[in-house]
Amino acid sequence: MQKLEFFLRRIGTSLFVLIGVSVITFFLARVVPANPAALYIGPKARQEDIDRVTKQLGLDKPLPVQYAVYMQELLHGDLGTSISTKRPITEELAGRIPATLELLFSGMFIAILLGVPLGVLSARSQGKPLDVGVRILSIAGVSMPAFFLGLILQIVFFRNLHLLPLAGRVDSDLRFTNPLTEITNFLLIDSFVTSNWVTFKDVFLHLILPAITLAAYPLGLIARMTRAAMLETLEQDYIRTARAYGIKQTIIIYLYALKNAISPTLTVIGLTFAFALTGTFFVEIIFNWPGLGLFTVRSLLNLDYPAIMGMTLFGSLGYVLINLIVDLLQAWVDPRISLK
Amino acid sequence: MKRFTLLVSLIVVFSVVLSACGGAAPTKAPEPVVTVAPPTEAPAPTATEAPAVPLVLKYASSANITTWDPIASFSTEAAYMAQMYEQLLRVNAPGSAEQYTPLLATSWEKSADGLVWTFHLRPNVKFHDGEAMNAAAVVKSIMLAKEKAGASFIWLPLSTVEAVDDMTVKFTLSYAQPLELILGSEYAAYIVSPKALDAAAANENYWSAGVDAGTGPYMLESYKADQEIVLTQNKEYWGGWQAGQYEKVLVQIVPEATTRQQMLESGDADIVTTIPADSYASFASNPDFTVSTEPALFNYTAFFNTMKAPLDDAKVRQALSYAIPYEDIIKIGASGRGTQSHGTAPNGVFPYSTDVKQYTYDLEKAKALLKEAGHDGGGFKLTLTYASENSTEEAFAPLIKDSFAQVGVDVTIQPMQFSEQWALAKADPAKAQDMFLLLYWPTYSDAGGDNMYSMFYGAKDAPHLNVTKFNLSYWYNADYNALYDTANALSGTDLAASLAKYTEAQNLMVDQAPAAFLFDTKVAIVTPNKISGFKYNLNYPDVRFWFYDLRAPK
Amino acid sequence: MTAVPVIASIESENTRTLRHVFSVILREPLSLLSTGVIVLFILMAAFAYQIAPFPEEGAGKTHASNTLLAPSAEHWLGTDKLGRDILSRIIVGARPALMIPIGVVLFAVLIGAPLGALAGYRGGWLDEVIMRITDLFLAFPSLLLAMAIASALGRGLDKAAIALVVSWWPWYTRIARGVAIGLRERYFVEAAQAAGVSDTVIIFRHILPNTISPILVQATVDMGTVILAMGGLAFLGLGIQPPSPDWGLMVSEGRGFILEQWWIATFPGIAIFIVVLAFNLVGDTLRDIFDPRQYK
Repeated sequence: MQKLEFFLRRIGTSLFVLIGVSVITFFLARVVPANPAALYIGPKARQEDIDRVTKQLGLDKPLPVQYAVYMQELLHGDLGTSISTKRPITEELAGRIPATLELLFSGMFIAILLGVPLGVLSARSQGKPLDVGVRILSIAGVSMPAFFLGLILQIVFFRNLHLLPLAGRVDSDLRFTNPLTEITNFLLIDSFVTSNWVTFKDVFLHLILPAITLAAYPLGLIARMTRAAMLETLEQDYIRTARAYGIKQTIIIYLYALKNAISPTLTVIGLTFAFALTGTFFVEIIFNWPGLGLFTVRSLLNLDYPAIMGMTLFGSLGYVLINLIVDLLQAWVDPRISLK
Repeated sequence: MKRFTLLVSLIVVFSVVLSACGGAAPTKAPEPVVTVAPPTEAPAPTATEAPAVPLVLKYASSANITTWDPIASFSTEAAYMAQMYEQLLRVNAPGSAEQYTPLLATSWEKSADGLVWTFHLRPNVKFHDGEAMNAAAVVKSIMLAKEKAGASFIWLPLSTVEAVDDMTVKFTLSYAQPLELILGSEYAAYIVSPKALDAAAANENYWSAGVDAGTGPYMLESYKADQEIVLTQNKEYWGGWQAGQYEKVLVQIVPEATTRQQMLESGDADIVTTIPADSYASFASNPDFTVSTEPALFNYTAFFNTMKAPLDDAKVRQALSYAIPYEDIIKIGASGRGTQSHGTAPNGVFPYSTDVKQYTYDLEKAKALLKEAGHDGGGFKLTLTYASENSTEEAFAPLIKDSFAQVGVDVTIQPMQFSEQWALAKADPAKAQDMFLLLYWPTYSDAGGDNMYSMFYGAKDAPHLNVTKFNLSYWYNADYNALYDTANALSGTDLAASLAKYTEAQNLMVDQAPAAFLFDTKVAIVTPNKISGFKYNLNYPDVRFWFYDLRAPK
Repeated sequence: MTAVPVIASIESENTRTLRHVFSVILREPLSLLSTGVIVLFILMAAFAYQIAPFPEEGAGKTHASNTLLAPSAEHWLGTDKLGRDILSRIIVGARPALMIPIGVVLFAVLIGAPLGALAGYRGGWLDEVIMRITDLFLAFPSLLLAMAIASALGRGLDKAAIALVVSWWPWYTRIARGVAIGLRERYFVEAAQAAGVSDTVIIFRHILPNTISPILVQATVDMGTVILAMGGLAFLGLGIQPPSPDWGLMVSEGRGFILEQWWIATFPGIAIFIVVLAFNLVGDTLRDIFDPRQYK
């Protein structure tokens, strides 16, 4: 019963937050100094054209009415039309989600795959050179500006070593030699499922540098967090008891300690997903990756306010969802939490 | 441990669900892969010899798509529109033997007063959707362009357009103008299939899916927003096809100049738009590439706000015009690719004339003039706005600031998004910027009228609310307007007399200095030596390459 | 008055933890080194115009005949497109790079901490309202929110700074609230209440001083993040505008030259990395000892 209540309350808060987010983004977008209608049709337009577009976009109505209309359209899944591309925002976003998620998951995969073991390793050899090394590495990871790291990696691996491709998701030539059937638009999955190995390899190679650039920050956080959680657990009585019984160190660490350290690590993984989402903005610019980040940054610079609103809402939705899921998972892993 | 495993599997499931959510959507429409129906005719008999992989031109381009609507198009997508659509004619580059290349018209004549023009259309031309190209299609396209194109104003002189017979079109103008220049415009002059125009009228999202309905040599095969465009041969093109011409063109949209440079070097792209301004030297010394520098229609102007003290005094404006380091601006802002402007008409375009006076860089003269105007030692402050998306302006704006500082004038530089810069300038001149940096180019190569009219032809009562929307000096001069009107009226009949009047008008303007005329740009183009057939035409600044002209290496 | 000795005892408790903070930093070699680096950069910012070899160029003066020079004895880190000495630009650029984030964190603390203390101390509906608003702001990925605000307000350093303050204050509200809840039931607060001391006085004299250590730790950690965020905004063109010297902006300007004139983007990038690394190392050491998250 308590769990159900916690579950419902948590979902309720999330809904409240989302409504609040929509209000904030809406009014934020209306602070934009330039006239959106004039932006919509460009500088060589005549005044009557601007007036026509003002009406067409509903900008002549009072703000609360505009908000009501906006919300109504939002509930029907309509985020409005982009000023710069003149296409529906939902289409613009939907078309770019797979690219961003593919990058995001790859980056997080690297971060978790390396971060957790590094954290454990570091905790095991607390105070030793290995620990210090991991510490410096992980803090360097969170200190490196993604826009700088990406540049450096491009120079080293493309320009100097000729090892990895420069930018983009896949070599476009392949469409003529090894055309890819697009199913999910996750190119790795699509090429794998259709056994298009040439494309699979190419997509994989294209993913490496952007994914590493993206992974640096979450990797550092996860390694640090895992280490801290492990140290805390290793201090606890039952571990000491286990040690006293002469159980092997490896078993203690991987079987008993890691299991209990996973809960705080999980929180941090949830958090870093959100950091990584904004990280994709820089990574996508540097690597010309056709995802949400590239679109958002262009919208920000063009004052494409419907697109900015759409992206902010979407980003917050993702953030709220991830947090919700992490909380629920945690309540399930660690029942004490729901009692708080 | 079990819970941990479960947890991991849950994360995996969650990811897959999320992926599915993300992945499911695009199948609906967002990434339209539109296939324009290929001509039904069987491929040429040589098909057996043809390689399995088509001959593809790889183009890394900075030009993005703002619309696929050929009528509304008034932006960078002209680079691709020009491959798929055709006008009645094309205006040749200056210095060509013929002034025009006939496209959908084969010949034309005009009445003695220059008001009535008759065009004979090319027979047996079909649009990509199979419709016949005829007088009705021309009339429909032009009428629509006049009514609602992005650049509809180019049709202001047009009174009526009508079909005389199936293959003949008659244009009637309300005042004499060289109509060929308007018909050859890279915007708002394409002839489009009437069937597609009807479909677009019924469905406002018709074009946004990425379709084309032109007569040009290439057709739109597929399009992924912000990523790539694939064009494919229109086998039935009236101009025919020769060996070596590309069967497909793969355009990759790459906004970063550095990335384009690397793609060109590594062979990921055969041709590119621009590379970083200072990187051309490395290609010039590379035996595999040719770097050519061509004149362009673009020029940079620094408008003075003539409605605000002290810039309302022509002496002060003259003084400041002497304090602009023109050479350094060209050297740093344009990496040396440019020439100091003679007035506002760009180099290579009528009525450009070296008889139009220039200011030299002369700080002593500037100081003397400031003293004469009652501002000994300067002592005033100015704000200067420029478009932050323009890296050239960003590079040279500080040079103006530093140079003005030497005559005692303190400049505050304000980079803004062009739309914000524009909004500020158009609100209230008394509160607007003191100086406005602008990159301008005429909408079509229109015998100079555009620059001289759009930027400096003032209205008496409220100069800032001018019909000519780029009058960012808020300048009004009755003599200039009169000279301009005379010159413009002559342009339809007597070019030499017209040029003389235009030059007189420009000299008057330069003397009054409502703006400082910085420089006319040149464009640098890198082409690989293995690809031949490249032709540059300054009248089409957005086009750069006509893919039909290019020949692949043998 | 009964309150006087109580306050004295809290304050001594507080100075003790502060002293503890510094002793922790000084004990650990890496964070000691990092503190040195931070102090060095702060000194560099303070005396920028005395240290920089070409102070005027650092501030933006152009030198058209020196354009794009490679690093040399005269220009240790080379020059940029406008002929300005990169080293001088980095030194002068240390001012906005450090000052703005310090200001941002300071304002975020000044807004966030009192709100959190109030919420935690008063509890009830006020707590509910304040914390829901906090949740709302925390529901945006902070950089995305900052970007949206910066683009709505228009470009500029001041606007970017406001955008970051708006996105950052809720973190401090959470921390201060956690501390306040812990103290609410403590005897000295109850004693002060019994003595008729007003809520404002209790919050400012009894509760807020106790939030200093956890907030100081969080602020140190945040300094690195805010420097990165400022750099990121500038890189995207939403922050400080040219011709001001700024590291993020210099990386962005140097991007177009990265293949041939690599020094333009590389050195400012390294400068960001070093400063952020130093703050993060100190913050990390502190966090190990006083985890501010325990108050959340």
